[in-house]
Amino acid sequence: MRFRQLVMMIAAVSVATEPVLAAPAVAPLPKPAAVEIVADESYVPQDQDERGLWMEMEKVERELKISPLVMRDPALNAYIKSVLCKTIGQARCAPVRLYIIRTSEFNATMAPNGMLEVYSGLLLRTRNEAQLAAVLGHEYTHYAQRHSLKLFRDVRSKSASLMWLQMVVGGLLASLMILPSIFKHSRDMEQDADVGGLAFMSKAGYDTREAARIWEQLREEMDATAASRKVKSRKDKDHGMFEDHPPSSERVKYLTEMAAKDPGTPGATGQEAYAANMAPDWGDFADDQIKQNDFGASDYLITSLGKQGWTDWLYFARGELYRRHAAEGDLEKAAGFYGEGIAASPGLPDLWRGRGLVLLKLGRADEGKADLREYLKRAPDASDKAMIAMMAGG
Amino acid sequence: MKGFVRIALAAALVALPATQAAAGWKLIAAKESVQVAKSKMAVTPNEAWNRGTHRASKKGETWTLDGPSISEVYFAAALLPGETFYKDTDKKNHPLPMMGKNLQLTDIPEFYESSQRIAYSTSVYEVTGIEPMKFLGQDGVKFSYTFALQGNPLQYKGLARATLIKGQLYLISYDAPALSFFDRDRAKAEAIMDSARL
Repeated sequence: MRFRQLVMMIAAVSVATEPVLAAPAVAPLPKPAAVEIVADESYVPQDQDERGLWMEMEKVERELKISPLVMRDPALNAYIKSVLCKTIGQARCAPVRLYIIRTSEFNATMAPNGMLEVYSGLLLRTRNEAQLAAVLGHEYTHYAQRHSLKLFRDVRSKSASLMWLQMVVGGLLASLMILPSIFKHSRDMEQDADVGGLAFMSKAGYDTREAARIWEQLREEMDATAASRKVKSRKDKDHGMFEDHPPSSERVKYLTEMAAKDPGTPGATGQEAYAANMAPDWGDFADDQIKQNDFGASDYLITSLGKQGWTDWLYFARGELYRRHAAEGDLEKAAGFYGEGIAASPGLPDLWRGRGLVLLKLGRADEGKADLREYLKRAPDASDKAMIAMMAGG
Repeated sequence: MKGFVRIALAAALVALPATQAAAGWKLIAAKESVQVAKSKMAVTPNEAWNRGTHRASKKGETWTLDGPSISEVYFAAALLPGETFYKDTDKKNHPLPMMGKNLQLTDIPEFYESSQRIAYSTSVYEVTGIEPMKFLGQDGVKFSYTFALQGNPLQYKGLARATLIKGQLYLISYDAPALSFFDRDRAKAEAIMDSARL
């Protein structure tokens, strides 16, 4: 039995949003209650427990400061920070340290010491500022409500009972008696954070219906993954009493109900500003996603973005996805997507590379070689020029 | 943090050792030809190397000088369509890509990149160069790459050579921290690649 490890792990990590985790709860969730936001910019740890948590997180933050995974582009950082500040207000936002992590995962976390991590996989999936604001408001609520500290104390207080029960009834059974209440506590805190996030959205002047949309989109993405892998969708996968987040179906339901009562500013999604600010990076984020070997989710995400307006890099991403997937008919489709990208805006040399490679595979050697030569003409310093030159026939 | 309560639960419920059984290593003598990755591909190192006894896959094998996070040479041999570079460790959520049919040489760096991204759980990965090069006496591809890992401040560099022979894929790669180690052992790793015979 490793309960000490459990306590230490919970102490060492922040309360996190894990949007992918979603399953029906064992018992119906309580009606969301209003969340009081208590943190401000002058907040310092209040006691030994909290100081300990902050120290742990400061260690993590020191490592993060030099991590090659952190995206340091000033424009991107300034934009995400501006959305945070608009959402939670300038005074609360000022002391928050933002770290944008380059990873295809859909996640964001805020540690008890005010360190906020936003994953690039989240920025690929949120469709507008309002959705990003919902996640940032959710994370800030975890921080403001000091959820990590509460969970830590919950675990510690229950650990004494657990040790006693272990002696009497045995380790596994004891865990089954105590641990569900910890998970329940975690689910309740997630719901509180959803409530707080929506309140922040409303106050900041966003359309609060977008909060539920995030979960609807995620459920659609899970369906897409499942369909392409020919397995059952995991959107309603049930971890029962060991689920640490409310099920996504529940989140959609209560967030929709809350948005009806507190609509914020209907129509104010900030979609155009979001798309304009993400444009320089979305191509890279889509590339990260494509290389995760999840055809269904990748195609879902690319076509979802395409609904907001197809661009050369979106066509390119879809061409790359289909070229790599290469199931029956995919290569012909890939050639089409590259072609549409070239027609949309011929600024991306890799469109010719992709189409050239596909045409070679389709046995259209002359056209393929011509495309590869065009690629080399447009990207004379390409890192693969020697290889492509060979394939293009010298 | 990914499902931290669930991770904690797993730790609490399962009385497993903290880490998997430590990988074993067997010394490979210098200047002796040795067959690798359960295949007919043979290499002759100029110095002694450590050969991992835990296989990353049925058709893969790892060598190192000072430990795999300092220098790692990976051999994959006779891979067939439908097979992966490594053993799947999370097939349900993060399945590794399988080798496709009708592969071109330019597909190999993409296949390896995607496999490494998933195996290392990283999106900070870039293929920095691809060029033609003979390997195992055949037309092949040589490529270089960089990557970084979560919880690790180091940048890594890598290079690989690969080819396709009768529809089967052969590859030898070398990864090491860009800081000091990559350059220190690069010539030794490339000598292994040069020595490869089928």
